[in-house]
Amino acid sequence: MKLKHDRFTLSLRLATWMALPMMFFFVGCGETPEAPAASSNTETAMDEEGMMPARRQKAFKKIFHAVPSPIETALLLERSGIRFDAGALHSLDNASGYATTDLQSVNLGIYAGDLSYSVIFNQNQQSVDYLNTCRRLCDGLGVGDIISADLIDRANNNRDIRDSLVDIVTETFYALNGRFRENGMEEVSGLMAAGGWIEGVYLGTRNLNSSTDDLKLRIAEQKMTLENLMGLLRSYTPTAALTDMMTSLRPVEAAFAGVTITENAAAATAAEDGTVVISGGPEVNYDEATLTAISESIAAVRNQYAK
Amino acid sequence: MTAIKKFPLAVLALVMMFTVADATAQCRTFTKKRCLPQLEDYVQNDNYNTAVLIPGDEAELELTFFGDRAYRLLVCGHPVLGDLSFQVLDSRGNGIYDSADKESDHFDFRVANTQQMTIRVQVPQTDAVIQHEGCVSIMVGSKG
Repeated sequence: MKLKHDRFTLSLRLATWMALPMMFFFVGCGETPEAPAASSNTETAMDEEGMMPARRQKAFKKIFHAVPSPIETALLLERSGIRFDAGALHSLDNASGYATTDLQSVNLGIYAGDLSYSVIFNQNQQSVDYLNTCRRLCDGLGVGDIISADLIDRANNNRDIRDSLVDIVTETFYALNGRFRENGMEEVSGLMAAGGWIEGVYLGTRNLNSSTDDLKLRIAEQKMTLENLMGLLRSYTPTAALTDMMTSLRPVEAAFAGVTITENAAAATAAEDGTVVISGGPEVNYDEATLTAISESIAAVRNQYAK
Repeated sequence: MTAIKKFPLAVLALVMMFTVADATAQCRTFTKKRCLPQLEDYVQNDNYNTAVLIPGDEAELELTFFGDRAYRLLVCGHPVLGDLSFQVLDSRGNGIYDSADKESDHFDFRVANTQQMTIRVQVPQTDAVIQHEGCVSIMVGSKG
């Protein structure tokens, strides 16, 4: 009987040990496996082309969660007629004061938002300065090699070419997201995404009184991206930092509750030039008081982290 | 359990963890080499929506697309997985686009009004005795 019990215990422990790395893999950056599958084991490494014999047999559904990148948000702000406001950017001097991983992660996102905003508005020297600041925070997070001295030199040499800087920023943050996933640092990835989203909305709401109607609509539409962000944060294994972030965003969610979105069917049609246009979809309504509430709540959470 | 028994289990777990991490790293290389160039002049979204999938798997991505902006949606998978199919659904779950019979791994479109859409990807089943897994990446680029 004791032998049976020992075997059972051994099997259970074996399964637990084997399940650990699979959990690490499946509960990755912004992904939720709907039905994680049992796995058969193999030590064969994936080849350079990205394939290998399957390590599991049972199919499952993987859910990705994503938010618009800071560059996308900055482009959106620019097209909506916003004017560059250097005074709204987070101080570069504060970067050295963030000692914890949580604060470094959120502020990396915030600085990524400022970097993107500077790049899109052709603030060349400022762009390089913000990239350098991101590098400092990446050093603290153990991924300093992603923003190498060579990359900074490349940015410096291309500082007058916006498209090149856009490429550098998007490639860099894509690589960072990939590395965080490889290293099992999904919390860092989520907090960085939150920081980037917060900064984008913060910058977009600094001068609401002089904003165009288009910009106001774009701000109201961020209710949808906030849903994406909350889905992303909820998809990770809960940690104190992620829970704190979701709690901090509750007043922002409450402010966005004033935006009403009426769902309508969307349809794809071909335009004269052959481009497929997706029309229809949701109708977004808001009032000035709601925008003011969004502006105030986003400033509060932004300043809570960027102090 | 004795230390001797624990040791091989720990080693096995570590080997698997490194194998899994290596697979993830290889997917990043695969995506960079094989997928990213296909976005051409579209600015990539920096989200990392890449996973190792096997035949029969599905993947889903929900994302907000902004009005009056052009997008390229690219579903890029290792050829060993066969022809991946994908659909685009609106926020009510109605189908907008289906890649079936289009013989293209990407969908170029413009969105008139900002909306949330879902991209659903299927890896085809196979009768092969030895199944393979491969990297699949859902990439979104935008311009204009």
